[in-house]
Amino acid sequence: MPHPEASPKISSLLRSSEWALVLAILLAVIATAVADANHSYWFEPFESIRDIARNTALLGIFALGATVVIIAGGIDLSAGSMIALSGTTCATTMLALAPLQMMGMKPVGPLVVIIACIASLLVGFLVGTLHTWLITSIRLPPFIATLATLVGLRSFARALCESSTAALTPTKSALINVSDPLFKTVRENVSIPVAVFGVLALITWLILTRTVLGRHIHALGGNEPAARLAGIRTDNVQWFAYCFGAMTAALAGLFYVANESVAAPVNQGRGHELNAIAAAVVGGCSLAGGVGTVPGTVLGAIFLRVVIDAVSKIIKTGADVYEGLIVGIVVVIAVTFAQIGEMAQGGRRLLPGGLGLCAIPTLAILCGAIATMTAGARAGMIATGVAVAFLSFVRLWESRRTA
Amino acid sequence: MDHIDTPHAVVMQGITKRFPGVTALENVTIEVERGKLHAICGENGAGKSTLMKILSGIYPPDEGLLLVNGVEVRFTGTRHAEQAGVAIIHQELALVEDLSVAANVFLGREKRTSLGLLDEQAMTAECGRLLVSLECHVSPRARTGNLRVGDQQLIEIAKALSLNASIVVMDEPTSALTENESVRLERTISRLLAHGTTILYISHKMDEVFRLADRITVLRDGRHIKTVNRIETTPGEVTGWMVGREIASRQFDTPRVRGPKLLEINNLRVPWPEHPRGYRLSEISLDLHAGEILGVAGLMGAGRTELLETIFGAIEPTWTGTILLQGKPVRFRHPREACAAHVAMVTEDRKRLGLFPDLDVAGNVSLCSLTEALRGGFLSRAREESLVAAPLRDTGVKTPGPHASITALSGGNQQKCIIGRWLLTKPSLLLLDDPTRGIDVGAKAELYSLIDRLCRDGLGVILTSSELPELLALADRIIVLSEGRLIAEFSRAQATEQKIMEAATGS
Repeated sequence: MPHPEASPKISSLLRSSEWALVLAILLAVIATAVADANHSYWFEPFESIRDIARNTALLGIFALGATVVIIAGGIDLSAGSMIALSGTTCATTMLALAPLQMMGMKPVGPLVVIIACIASLLVGFLVGTLHTWLITSIRLPPFIATLATLVGLRSFARALCESSTAALTPTKSALINVSDPLFKTVRENVSIPVAVFGVLALITWLILTRTVLGRHIHALGGNEPAARLAGIRTDNVQWFAYCFGAMTAALAGLFYVANESVAAPVNQGRGHELNAIAAAVVGGCSLAGGVGTVPGTVLGAIFLRVVIDAVSKIIKTGADVYEGLIVGIVVVIAVTFAQIGEMAQGGRRLLPGGLGLCAIPTLAILCGAIATMTAGARAGMIATGVAVAFLSFVRLWESRRTA
Repeated sequence: MDHIDTPHAVVMQGITKRFPGVTALENVTIEVERGKLHAICGENGAGKSTLMKILSGIYPPDEGLLLVNGVEVRFTGTRHAEQAGVAIIHQELALVEDLSVAANVFLGREKRTSLGLLDEQAMTAECGRLLVSLECHVSPRARTGNLRVGDQQLIEIAKALSLNASIVVMDEPTSALTENESVRLERTISRLLAHGTTILYISHKMDEVFRLADRITVLRDGRHIKTVNRIETTPGEVTGWMVGREIASRQFDTPRVRGPKLLEINNLRVPWPEHPRGYRLSEISLDLHAGEILGVAGLMGAGRTELLETIFGAIEPTWTGTILLQGKPVRFRHPREACAAHVAMVTEDRKRLGLFPDLDVAGNVSLCSLTEALRGGFLSRAREESLVAAPLRDTGVKTPGPHASITALSGGNQQKCIIGRWLLTKPSLLLLDDPTRGIDVGAKAELYSLIDRLCRDGLGVILTSSELPELLALADRIIVLSEGRLIAEFSRAQATEQKIMEAATGS
C-alpha cells in the first residue's frame, strides 16, 4: 500500500532533524577553520581530527547507553560515577593480581588486563541491576535512584581506591597509576576507541530497530502501563536498559583509564553523565521516553565535541572552562529548534508578559558577559546592544501579531 | 450587567472549529435564554464538548461570533471567561487532589489577609457556606482526593458558584454519580435556575434531559441539527436526530452456537485493604462458554474493570477463590502469562492503557506477536507488514497504510487496531472493557459486527459496557455488578434496560 510520506532511501537513513545536525556540524567545522587564528584545521588536520574523534568516541560510548535508558522512559544520572568506579575496579583488580608489576610500572600481562576489564564490566552489570531493583521493586523514581548512585558510587570508588592501596601497597593513595603497554596502545591509537564506538553504535542501532527487545524498549518508554498490559515483561526490559547504560559507562571508564594512564576516582568522569544526556537530547531523544535514535545520538555527540573544540580553538583559554557553558547553550538551542514549528503554529510567544520583559535584559547580560570574557569589553558592549535590540524587536513583533 | 435587556445570556453564531484532520464544529448557531436550562444533546464526537470549550474560553473558535449577555467576547482563556461570568464543570474533574476542598474552590483566586498572606479562615468559612447550600456534607478542610466522585463534582459546582457565574456549563455531570447523588445534583440545578443562573447542560441521557431542560439543541457530526422546546418533542424524536437514523437494536438476533465451557469462576474475592468496604469484588461466580458473549453491567466503581483485570493477571494476584480456564485452575501473575494461555484483554482507557503513540499502526498491531515477524533473529519490516495485513483487513481499520501514525486515526480505528493486536495472539478468551467508549456511532456499529463475528468464530467474549443498549444488543447473558458484588444475571430474553438499571442502582 503506498503511503503519503513514501521517501527515497537516502532520507530514511536519517531523519530531517538529523540532517540538520549534519549541517550544523559542517557549519561549526567551517566556522572554526576560518575563525581560528592558528588555522589548525588547515595546518594540522590530523591532530584535530584525532582529538575530536577520541573525545567523541569516549562520550559517544556511554551516550549510547544513556540513549537506550532514555528511550525506555528512564534516566541514568550515575554514568560519570560509574566511569570512576569502573576505572578504579579495573586498576584495583590489576593491583590485586599483579601488585609488584603495578608498583614497579611494569607490564602486568594481557590475561590480568582482560580479567580486570571483565571485572569492570561486571560491576557495570551489578550497578545496572541495582538501579533496576530500586526502580521496579522499591519503586523509586529513576531520577532519585540514579541520583543516589551518582553521589554514592563515586564515594564508593574513592573508598575502594584508598582501602585497596592501603592494603596492597606501602602507602594509601587516591589514585592508581596504570602503565601496562596494552593501555598505552589504546591511548596512542585513536582508532581503537573509535572502532569500539562504531561497533557499539551499530549493535545498539540493531537492538533498537531490529529486535523484539528494541521494540519493547520503545513501547515501554512510550506507554509503560500499556506495555505491561500488552504482556511485556517491563521489569526485564528496564533491567536490560539500565544494565546497558551502566555497562557502556563502565566500558568508557576503561578508555578514560587508558587515556589518562591512571585510575583517579576523585575526578574521572565527573559531570560526564550530563554530557551523555545532552548528546542524546541534542540528537532528538525525548526525556518523556519512547523517542530517540542511534544516528541522532552519534551526531549529537559529534556536534557537542565539534562545538567544544571550536570554542577552545577560537578562544584559546582553557576549553574546559567553557565546556559546560557550551553544552548548556547547545542543548537549549537544539531543543528549541526541535519545537520551533510547533511554537509558531500554536501562536505561543517567546517573550510574553512581565517574564518576557525581564528575559530581555537577562539574555542580553548573559550574551554581553560571555562576549566580554572571551573577546574583551568592546565586544561585550556590542553583544549586549545587539541582543537588546534583537529581543526587543521580537517582543514588539510578537505583540503586534497577537494584538 | 450592562445589557440585561437582551433575553439571551449566550449567543453563539456560526461557530466553526477545525482540528488537524477533522472539522469538530461547522457553522453552529445557538441562542440560550437567560435563566433557563438548555440541554445540548448528541452522540460522542458530535461536537458538544468542543462547543462548550469554546464558550468557556478553552479554545478560540476559528470562525463565528460569541456573545455573552449581548456583548461580543473573544476569550483568551478560562480566567477571562470566568470574569465574564461563564464557568464550566468538566466531565473529567479538574481538581488538585492533594489540596483541601477550600483550596480547590479558591484555586487561582485565593483570598488574602491585609498582610497579603493566605486567608484560610475566610476561604474555609465561605467554602463551608457554599457546600451547605449544595447539601454537600464534607469538611472544607478535607483532602479533595479522598472524596467520592459525587462530592468532587459538587466541589466543582461550588467553585462555579464562588465565581458568581451567571452562566454555568455542565458537561455530562451525572456520568459518575449514583442515583442519590444525581437527585441531589438536580435539586442544586433547580436552585441555581431559581436564582436566575443560565445552565448549559450536556448529556445524552434522555430521561435526565427531559426532566430538566427547557430547550434542547441536538448536534450531530459537528453540525447543528435542531433546537426545540422540550414540551414540543419526545425522547424518541431527539434520539432520532442524534443518530440520524433509527437504531436497529437487537440486530444480532440469530442464535449463536454455544461451545464447550471456557471459563469458570467460583467465589472470587479480590481484597481491598485500604477501602472501608474491604474488597473490590466479593462472591463472584460465573461461567462462560466458547462462542458466547457475557455482558457485564454496572455503574462506575462497581468492579467491572477489576473483574477483567483479575482474570487477565493485570493486578497483584491477592484474590481468593478459583478461576478455571478450560477446566484447569489458573492464577496469572502477569499479563504475559495470560497471553500465553490465549487470553486477551482490550483495556478501557485506550489512550492511557492501550495505545503506543510513538509506534506506527503496524507497530501497534504487531506488538504482542513480534516473534512471528522475525527473520534470522531480527525484526523484518516486510514480515511485520504482512503479519498485520490480516488483522487490519479483518477488523476493517481505515488507515493510509501500516506506516501511518496511530494518533492520526479516529478513535474507532484505533480501537480496531488494538483488537487486531490481540487477534494476532489467537486468543480463545477475549476480554473487552468498554470497547466503544468515546467512539462515534458508525464505528460502534462496525465494532458490534466485529465482536459478533469473532464470537461466532468460537471466541468466548466478556464485554463490559457503560451503555446498556450495547449489552442488550450483543450479549447472550448479562451479569450486573454493584459495589463489587454480582447482583443479578439475566438471559438475553429476560434483560431490559429497566431491569438492569434497577439491579445496578440497587433500587
